[in-house]
Parts: sequence; C-alpha cells; structure tokens
Amino acid sequence: MEIKKSIFVMEFLITIILLLSIILIGSVLNKGRKNFIDEQMQSVNDISDMQVYLLMSDTYGDKIACLSLKSKLKDWDKSLWDLGNKLEQYRIASEEFSKDEYYLEQKKQFNEKQQLYLIFLTKIKSDCNLNKTIITFFFQNSKDCNKCDDQSYILTDIKRKAGDDVAIFSFDADLNITNINLLMEYYGVNEFPCIIINEKKYCGIQDRNFIVEKICKDTPVPELCN
Amino acid sequence: MNVVYNILAYLVWFLATYWVVLLLLIVVSGKEKLFEKKKFTYKNYPRVSVAVPAFNEEKKISFTIKSLKRIKYKNMEFIIINDGSSDKTSQVVTKTIAGDSRFVFIDRKENKGKAASLNEAISIATGKFVATMDADSVVEPNIFMKVLPHFENKKTAAVTVSVAVKNPKTFLHKIFDLEYIVGLSLFLKLFSLVDAVFVTPGPFSIYRTSAIKEIGGFDENNITEDLEIAYRLQKARYKIDNCLDAKVYTIIPPKFKDLCIQRKRWYSGAIQTLMKHNKMIGRKKYGTFGYFVLFNYSLIFLGMILFIGSLYLGATNIFNNLIYISQTNFNFLEQLKYLQFDILATGQISLLGFIALGTTMLTAVVGLVLTKTKISEKKLGLLGYPLLFFLYQFFWILSVVAVIRGKKIKWR
Repeated sequence: MEIKKSIFVMEFLITIILLLSIILIGSVLNKGRKNFIDEQMQSVNDISDMQVYLLMSDTYGDKIACLSLKSKLKDWDKSLWDLGNKLEQYRIASEEFSKDEYYLEQKKQFNEKQQLYLIFLTKIKSDCNLNKTIITFFFQNSKDCNKCDDQSYILTDIKRKAGDDVAIFSFDADLNITNINLLMEYYGVNEFPCIIINEKKYCGIQDRNFIVEKICKDTPVPELCN
Repeated sequence: MNVVYNILAYLVWFLATYWVVLLLLIVVSGKEKLFEKKKFTYKNYPRVSVAVPAFNEEKKISFTIKSLKRIKYKNMEFIIINDGSSDKTSQVVTKTIAGDSRFVFIDRKENKGKAASLNEAISIATGKFVATMDADSVVEPNIFMKVLPHFENKKTAAVTVSVAVKNPKTFLHKIFDLEYIVGLSLFLKLFSLVDAVFVTPGPFSIYRTSAIKEIGGFDENNITEDLEIAYRLQKARYKIDNCLDAKVYTIIPPKFKDLCIQRKRWYSGAIQTLMKHNKMIGRKKYGTFGYFVLFNYSLIFLGMILFIGSLYLGATNIFNNLIYISQTNFNFLEQLKYLQFDILATGQISLLGFIALGTTMLTAVVGLVLTKTKISEKKLGLLGYPLLFFLYQFFWILSVVAVIRGKKIKWR
C-alpha cells in the first residue's frame, strides 16, 4: 500500500495544529504570567499607603501609627518577597528564545519598589523600635559574579526560615538604576556579591553561619537562632 | 546554549510528533488490513523448514524445542545448528529431539556465528518456506496456519510476527516487553502496510526459501543479520508482511549489563547496515522504505544530540544545586518543603514535553489494543514506558561511541 498524498497532508496539518496549540497555550500562560505580575506590582507596597502611615505618625504620634503598621508590614514584606521570586520564575519560563523587555521593565520597577520599601522600613525601624533585621543584597548576573547565585541561595534559605523577622532586599546592579547606583555609592559597594546587614557592609560571599550569627545578634529569630 | 537547545527541542518534537501522527493515520486508514485474518487456502500443506541456531543455550533450548514440537502443522522439518557451544547445548538437543524424525541436528564444533549457521541450515532446507528462530524463544502452536496465508502474494518474501517478552518479571523487563509490543509488533505491522519493514526479527521470522537464496542468504559479516536481510529484501523490491495475530515469546537478558551489550550490538549493527546500504536512504526508487529509513535515523540522530544536551544542562543544574545545597548543610528535606507547582511557571519547552509524553503513551496503548493485550496486565510497563526514551538514547550513545572508536562488536 502506498501512502496517499492526502495522508501526508493530513498528518502535516495535525502536527502543525498540535504545535500551534502548544504555542497558543504558551501565549495564554505568558499572558497569565504578565497579568499576575502586573496585579502584584500594583498591589505591592503602594506609596500612598506609606504616606498615610507617615502622616499618621506626624499627626497622632508614633505609638498609634506603629501599632497599625505592624500588621501591614508583614503583608508588604511577604508580597514583595513572593513577587521577587515569581518575577524571576516567570521570566525564565517566558524567555526561551530571547529577552523580553517586559521583564526587564518589571525588574526595574520591582527594584525601585524595593528601594522605596527599604527606605520606609529603615525609617520606621527606629521610629517604631522594630526588632527586625534588614539585609540589603547587591548582585550582578552570574557571568560576571560567579558567587552571586550562591549568596542568593543562602539568603533565600535564611528568609524562608526567618519569615518576616528578616527583610531581605536584592538589588540587581546590572539594571543600572540611578537610585540603586546611589545606594551602592552610599554603602561603598564596589564588588559583588555584597550584603549590608543592619547598615554594616560585608562584601564577597558570606556563608550561612556568618549571616545567621549577625541576624541573631540583633533579632533572636527562634527558627534560626535556637 | 539554551537557544540552540530550545530550537533542537522544537525540531525533535516536530519530527517525532509528525512520525507518531503518520503511524496513527496509517492505523486509521488501513484498519481493515490491520485486523484482516487471512485464511489458510493451500490445498497441500507446503513444506516449512525451521532453522534454529544455538550457541551456549543449554538452559533455554529445550523449551524452544518443546515449543517446536507443539506446532500443529503437517509438513515441516526442524534444523537445529549447534554453533560450537562450549556448554551442554549439544547433549540437551540430542536428548530433547531423540526419536523425532522431523529434527535434523548439525552439531558443529567450530563457532561461525549466527548468520553462517542460518545459511548452513538454509542450504540443506527442503521447505518451500524457511523460518528462522532464536534458541531462547517459543512460538504458539498454530503459528504456521496464521503466517503462511501471507505468502499468497508472490512478491511476499518474508513475514514477521508479534514479538513479546517471555515472563517479564522485573520493572525493566516489563518496560521492554511494552517496547517489543510497540516496536516489533505494532510498528512492523504498520510498516508492512506501506512496504517499509526494516527488520525481520530474530526471535521468529519466516521467509520464502527461493527469495532468500536469490539474494544470497544472510550476511555473515553483519552483526544484525535480521536487519540487514530486510534491507536486501527491500532492495530486491520484495514485500515483507506482518502477521500481528501470530506471536513469538522471547527472553531478554536478565542483567542490565547484558542488556547493554545486546543493544550495543543491535544499534551498532543498525549503523553498519545503514552504512552498507546508504544508497537506499531517501531514494525514490525504494519507495516508502527509503524515506522511512531517512526519517527514522534523522530522528534518532537529532534525538541523541538533544539527549546529550539535556544531560549536559541537567548535570550542570544538579551540580549548581548541589553547590547551593552545600551552603545550607545539604538539608535536602528542608528544600523539598518549598517545592510547589505553579502552572503559570510552565514554559513552552515543558509543554512540548507533556505533549510528547502524551503521544508516546497513546502509541503504547494503541500497540496494546492492536495486539489484543490487556492494558491491565501491562500497567507497570506503561508506567515506566517514558523511561524508555532515556534508556534508548543511552544505548544509542554507547553504540555510536563503539562505532566511532572502531571497536569490533561480536555477535555474542
């Protein structure tokens, strides 16, 4: 039996339809990813919320402002951390062939939001006497900084255990954002990875025990320090 | 690296899906022929010779001989060739065939190889048809009544049957059992419908004696004589048919190491045959066969490169993760706690993988249905069937390396 030409045509069409279905599902997922990031980006760390708390503090005093802030901080911290993870995860899933400008733009926005939250947190830490360790992490892409991924992994592990007792802010130096450059200049960061734990700078990779020791000195997190 | 890998993944996926869809369309378009049962219409029972070469088969050959004795057919002879065995094959054969005049026993002291043994048997065979059978296989009693009607077409030079693994016990054997059902039963049936059969499996195949003599018998220099002869039959424009209804059960090596050796021989032999008959590849003159060979081996080659790429990326990933985990004192369980499935994090390459997995499983199920095998009996094999992709690539890499290194692979 010779294979009819119509069979070849039909199988080609079926294979193409299957491929197109995959591409379609892929683009639906891609859209879903972008919608999710957009929504999260909108809801995370809204600047007007921060202004309200700062005004509350000025008008009614630190005590009442700090009381209402404590529950809100936990949400901000978690959503910012989750968003950072999702942003990286979704970028990898989307960028199979080429870089997507969308993710670059979102990363910039995310870094800016992080910086805003860092400033806010640093301010209210002293105003409200918050027992929270703030870690600022400066990194570069893995080609230029082969230990940055390792440092990131250690910090992720610490964050997972410590929860909202430790706030970690990761700043991508490659994005070349003016405010981040200024922040690096302020701390005198000129090598990567570099972490700032409660305003003290430690450049070069820092092992887990060292970071945990520094955290526990200021914030006795039961999951880490016991 | 990632972009090249992704392009390759798309290409292999496209070719593999194209291949599977083609086979499934052949099933649909040729379904009458697929289940067609041919009636035995010979007025006189044509004589059939069965050639069974044996080398160190003392443990299994008695089962093979007993299976031959159970065949219900009037006009046949069995030629057993001891190919210089160093064990007690000779004594076992002599004892098992004693008193049965249908058996001819050639007890050779020198080991000449399987193809030479088969040629020797063919040279003395008196049958109009000659079946070749491995000394570790068993056939069903009415096999000739099922396969001989396929020779009604004068152009048919050989008929293959469904091959299954005898008593698959281990998980690995159950996977290979399914591979035999799909690869050596379903695929050969489908290929026979479009005149593209590329192998007449060693466990059992039957040939028209005149045709096999015309093409000069088996190639004694080839380590996969059952593959090579199919190429030459196709070259001579003979037809190779398949009888899905008839079954042969064969044994696969119990140890993984022996399985590797067997597969290395098969695939190195395939390369050897391909090189010998390279002028048949993609040539219109040889019809579907030429195109199928080209397509099949292109897919194997690209699949192998994709597999090597996957291994490299996988190993790099594992290595990096180990370094990361080492930073947290190798607390694996702790890390597992944080794993979570997020459909949105599924990339397109993963989607290709899911579809490929689906079509692979579909092919396996179609194979079981067409060979009338109960799916419930093969559920463990089905479960492990996707692993075959990795094993298959692993065996191919072993074989390619052996061929490149010019390592001589013996039949045994």
